[in-house]
Amino acid sequence: MMPFLDYKNVVPKTVIGLLVALIVILPVFTTNVITLSIFISSGIWAIAAMGFTLVLRTGQFSLGQGAFMALGGYTSAILTVKLGMPFWPSFFLAGIVSGIVALLVGSVVLRVGGTYFSIITLALAEVVRIIAQQWEPVTRGTRGLITSPPDPIVLGGLEINFATSTVPYFYFTVCLVAITALIFWQIGESRLGRSFAGIALNPVLAEHQGMHLMRYRVIAFTVAGVFTGFAGCLYAHFLTVITPYMLGLWQSIQIMIMSIVGGISSLAGGPIIGAILLYTFGIYLSRLEIYGIQQLLFGAAVVLVLLFLPKGTGLVDLWERFWRKVVWREEEYEPDTPDD
Amino acid sequence: MPPVGIWIDGLIQSCIYMTMAFGMVLVFSILGILNWTHGQFYMLGAFVVYYAVTAAGIPFPISILISAVVIGGLGILVEKFIIERVSVPSAQGALYVTVATIALIFFFEGTASMLFGMQDKGLAMVLPGVLNLGSFSVSYQKIAVVIFTLVIMITMYIVLNHTKVGLAIRAAAQEPVAASLYGVSVERLSLIVMGIGCALAAMAGSIMAPLYVVNPFIGGIPMIMSLLAIVIGGLGSLTGAIVGGIILGFLNSVVAYHLSYFSEVVLFLLVIIILLVRPQGLFGASLK
Amino acid sequence: MSYLELKNATKHFGKLAALEDIDLRVEEGEILGIVGPNGSGKTTLINIVSGYYRPTRGEIFFNGKKISGLRPDQIAARGIIRTFQSNVLYEGATVVESMLISSYQQYRTNHWQSFFETRAWKDENERVVGRVIELIKLLDLLNDTFLPAEGLSHGYQRMLGIAMAMIAKPSLLLLDEPTTGMNHEEAMFVVDKIKKISEQGVTVILIEHNMKVLLDVATRVVVLNFGNKIAEGRPEEVMNQQEVIEAYLGTETI
Repeated sequence: MMPFLDYKNVVPKTVIGLLVALIVILPVFTTNVITLSIFISSGIWAIAAMGFTLVLRTGQFSLGQGAFMALGGYTSAILTVKLGMPFWPSFFLAGIVSGIVALLVGSVVLRVGGTYFSIITLALAEVVRIIAQQWEPVTRGTRGLITSPPDPIVLGGLEINFATSTVPYFYFTVCLVAITALIFWQIGESRLGRSFAGIALNPVLAEHQGMHLMRYRVIAFTVAGVFTGFAGCLYAHFLTVITPYMLGLWQSIQIMIMSIVGGISSLAGGPIIGAILLYTFGIYLSRLEIYGIQQLLFGAAVVLVLLFLPKGTGLVDLWERFWRKVVWREEEYEPDTPDD
Repeated sequence: MPPVGIWIDGLIQSCIYMTMAFGMVLVFSILGILNWTHGQFYMLGAFVVYYAVTAAGIPFPISILISAVVIGGLGILVEKFIIERVSVPSAQGALYVTVATIALIFFFEGTASMLFGMQDKGLAMVLPGVLNLGSFSVSYQKIAVVIFTLVIMITMYIVLNHTKVGLAIRAAAQEPVAASLYGVSVERLSLIVMGIGCALAAMAGSIMAPLYVVNPFIGGIPMIMSLLAIVIGGLGSLTGAIVGGIILGFLNSVVAYHLSYFSEVVLFLLVIIILLVRPQGLFGASLK
Repeated sequence: MSYLELKNATKHFGKLAALEDIDLRVEEGEILGIVGPNGSGKTTLINIVSGYYRPTRGEIFFNGKKISGLRPDQIAARGIIRTFQSNVLYEGATVVESMLISSYQQYRTNHWQSFFETRAWKDENERVVGRVIELIKLLDLLNDTFLPAEGLSHGYQRMLGIAMAMIAKPSLLLLDEPTTGMNHEEAMFVVDKIKKISEQGVTVILIEHNMKVLLDVATRVVVLNFGNKIAEGRPEEVMNQQEVIEAYLGTETI
């Protein structure tokens, strides 16, 4: 199974369109805060997971994406709370700051590959957490910062108020997820995506064909950083609080699990599926009273899913297989035995 | 100059991290994977010893051996039924193994919470009393830890350098393909090595049980510490694991005494710099 | 100045001198063969020209400009493309995917145009895909287009390696033992393709052990031994020189 180039559109656009339409009209059927919150949080994690997958597409395994969420969240929180900036500029700055850090750090750190890079990102995530914890004057340490929802927007005669209802947040998240998914998907389809695949599958060969390794690694890392920063900002303002432990090592690991279980062969669908499923599963588990059983079931579930999936695939690939076998009635492709 | 107690504490921590790092490097050298569950085997080892001593009245030294065998066996099962099943031959394989072993962290922590409860448990000192050396005193228990670690290290040295299995392990670590051509079954060796590695983690947890607290969450920090230790020492190097363990043990006690939280930052920055400048760590990528 | 020029090119690995003071000139359009016993430094020569290694001493010039010390991707961008001795592939990719990735340098449009799928990009992409298919046909890989590259037999994997090098838009093609492991038929097939490539204007440097191939296709031959150039000239002349025969004693393959 080739996870890095998905130039074949397996699922017809109509089906995706239908799903999107369903999600969009969801608030018509329910304004239940809890249901909407699940979608909002899943969406936020989905964006972060997409960032992870994008970086993975260049052959780098980042265990520090939570740090970018923290950067985005804290940037926006500090700007709005301490400097009194309105939400929307802070939102954009959150992404930009996160992106700049990704660019600077990536330019140094992406030279190293594989396991080493992963450990570095892990260490960096922790460093960010420690800074957030210790830089009292700015971040208020472990007490964290209390943020407020975005200011109301007035469009024509209609006022969209984020404070009174969860629905505007829902649409905001859906929009952001959709935009991220579209951009990332299109990157995968484009020549940029091919270059990513090249440097991931065989860096030496790709270099000898004209692809500058660092350039593409940094591009992917920075783009991921920007969008993960946006996600972090969204998270901070949705929960109206941000603390150092909210977006640290464990969250980075969570993001990784969502991406890989969802399926790395897809830049958009995989992470989204992974995020939604794992997040809702986590919510369901947290309702179980006994503390230990939540972790037990979560760990067991992830391991079982990995065992159950055919080697090297994710959940989104199941979807693809289903589509091919059942709907398109495609024969399982048997390669000929080699000639010689 | 921190009090002697801190230095001794550093020594104890070094012993523990050294043992764990050694196990981790062994597994990494043969199986090529970082076993993120390593810390959980440490925790489970401590629990086995706890229950063996308090509930079954088995003497401490024997309990340690039981713990090593049980947890080593558990490690073999995990390797055979989970890690091997999940792994894909290409470079991607490491991804799925990583996710699986991280998921297992949750699984074991949750299981332990449910089975043993979350409260701290303490194991009474097996060797009560202290040795008085002039102005300070050392508990016999702590001395025992150091001696025990030395015994383990010497045993490992003998096994690796003077037994058939040890030779096979070293061969497979350096040249898996050549080794298999010489009749070394890398699959079986993987199981053996996994067993040894997890047993080492269990022993580390066992010997520290009387000194520190025992609860389902004690596996996290040793896991990260041994990971950092093998990074500093060099990902494929056993000597590196030992040296790394020592460095980390003293960093966490002595340096932390002076710098408190900042020592964490120092540690992470040190790791980052090492990985950038000299990724093969202090002792390179060869198994010694 | 010649098309490709090496001056005093030297490469040491610690104490080992893989190449020592190599002076080499390659003219545009020729097919230069590089021969020598194992360990004589042939692949190292390609490695320093392609940028994989930096020469310890000496300089390399391409089209009059110095290229020694540049990164491999910079050198590739100037039109120097190489193949590898072992089958170096994009792991997990199919034949056509490998070719598409390798077609990186064919594009004049930039990534933004590709992202937004502009008219210019679409036109260019169509042309490039056309060339990819042409090359796949030319190198007899059509049946395997959608197969994973790793599933191909050794001979076809080498064909793919050459095809990938070709689509990367070479002006100077460095082939490292392209016919190794092939039987006579396959080797002659490759020879035919090399001639066709040369006709299209590509300069070729070819490392070969196979004498029949060399005598058939090379316009000039350079002989290396222990990192030194020991002979140079027309294939028939060079292969009959005393030093060359001595260097090769026991290692010649028919």
